[in-house]
Amino acid sequence: MPHPGASLIQAPSRNRIMTYPFTLPGNPVPTALRGSVFAYGLLVAAAAGVGFTGDALAADAHAGNPAARPVWKFSGFGTLGAVRASSRDADFTSTVLRANGAGRSERWSPDVDSRLGAQLDLSMGRWSGVLQVVSEQNMEGSYRPRVEWANIKYQATPDLALRLGRIALPVFLAADSRKVAYTMPWVRPPVEVYGGLPISNSDGIDATWRWRSAGDTHHATQVFYGRTDTRLFEDRRLQAHGIAGLSHSIEHGPLSARVSALTGRLDTGIGVEVFSAMRGFGPQGVALADRYAIEDKRVSMVSAGVSYDPGQWFVSAEAGRTHTHSLLGQTSTMYIGGGYRFASLTPYAGFAKIRAHGATSDPGLPLAGLPPRARAVASALNAGLNAYLATIPIQTTFSTGLRWDLATDAALKVQYDRVRPTDGSRGTLINTSSGFRSGQTVHVASVALDFVF
Amino acid sequence: MVTRIRHLVAAATLMLAQTASGNASAELVVIVSARNPLPALSGDQVAAIFLGQAGRFPDGAEVVALDQRLGSQERNHFYTQLTGKSPALLKAHWSKMVFTGRGQPPRELADSITVRRMVADNPSMIGYIDRSALDPSVRPVLVLR
Repeated sequence: MPHPGASLIQAPSRNRIMTYPFTLPGNPVPTALRGSVFAYGLLVAAAAGVGFTGDALAADAHAGNPAARPVWKFSGFGTLGAVRASSRDADFTSTVLRANGAGRSERWSPDVDSRLGAQLDLSMGRWSGVLQVVSEQNMEGSYRPRVEWANIKYQATPDLALRLGRIALPVFLAADSRKVAYTMPWVRPPVEVYGGLPISNSDGIDATWRWRSAGDTHHATQVFYGRTDTRLFEDRRLQAHGIAGLSHSIEHGPLSARVSALTGRLDTGIGVEVFSAMRGFGPQGVALADRYAIEDKRVSMVSAGVSYDPGQWFVSAEAGRTHTHSLLGQTSTMYIGGGYRFASLTPYAGFAKIRAHGATSDPGLPLAGLPPRARAVASALNAGLNAYLATIPIQTTFSTGLRWDLATDAALKVQYDRVRPTDGSRGTLINTSSGFRSGQTVHVASVALDFVF
Repeated sequence: MVTRIRHLVAAATLMLAQTASGNASAELVVIVSARNPLPALSGDQVAAIFLGQAGRFPDGAEVVALDQRLGSQERNHFYTQLTGKSPALLKAHWSKMVFTGRGQPPRELADSITVRRMVADNPSMIGYIDRSALDPSVRPVLVLR
């Protein structure tokens, strides 16, 4: 039985004793709770602000805008999904931030795609606030809600919006809406591209400027700056600071495109027990630890995506590259997909790929000349390091499926994926057992009901 | 749920009717207030405003779009003609906008008469109505057949 916290860059179970994360005492306030408090604080502050400046806003607001009186709106989205995977030695899942998935843990897993999101919008003339909470399986196996969006927006002009708070990063075509499966034709965004984003949220500021160029092309240029601190499991956190980036979207009739770039400094305790032990093995151990430990490591990502959707059919393609000097490695990803709409039925197909640049294994500590006891420890540490490096994904997936729009707010989808991790990598699979072999194809069948309200 | 099924049936019937007779639905006009000096608009310009991609008229003035009732013939006809998007695709588009905090869909009004009255009083507004509901208080900027 895989351990609940055993997803992100977790070693195969035979190494579990060594790579099992240390548990520290202490019970930090859950991120979700702190985020909620922060968000509500912002909303209440915004609402209170209206009391003082209400007259100015009322005079300012255009006739058509719901002016100074606060307008609340509640909406939500969700997916009920079930997934079956053919592997008995690994779990298929939609993101590395899951405790388990379909395959090894369960024959049919509801945890891969199921989620529920709720959003509260508050608008008052030029000011608005959004709080979005999403419940989905986390790395501890629970569905504890997490704050996905919590920000206040000031619409300085019809073209310029400033936001303060938590935003989902606008990378690839749909990273900021990837949890609202209703908005996409497929059951889930391609796991190769979206399943392992090292940073997906930022607590900070962002500015979006909309403009128009010749030939009725609409542009939206977004810049952002912030930090993030996400609890993974037990005491393990994923932190990033100095997140800065740019995203540019273009709409021209049925054509839309987005390019983005971001950088940030990443910190996480993943693998820390291996690296702290390695540092005990002299300069070579220190060098290995410095190279692979995710301690204040710069991560950079660039992506470009384009989609063409005249209504009757659609095609979209994206490519991206992630770069770190750590055990997260350097990867490039791409996918291409398309479909044709027969009234409410949309058959579709796609292909996705992720490959690694640079080492996905390392000779590790030299064993020659070590006393037997030290040699055993060094050998185990090397195995631990390589187990982590094997989690750098190398994988291809062919997908095909059918979307059926039941109504204007619900869609039923069935999908088949042929997932193949290669070159010693476990791909995007998690909870691999000692029997897992890279290169074996995993067949995945999914059914999902997506809804918005 | 019953309403939804009725809408579905209505939409299906409409689609069948359109397929059978070429184009059975009435003409639509996109309107602004008679006090708005705006010249004619292109289909792409109107589409960008109604899809939340543009917040201004081409002359730079702020714009607010008004929709007709979800499931109404006017609304289905308007978006099919202008964007090629079905009601489900539009819902997907607005879900994306709403759940990324980028915008809210246009305000929804009951019928052509209500839209005309609202637009007539507000030079910053734009709407679409059945041609038969036109009067001198508003000015057509685009005709959809």
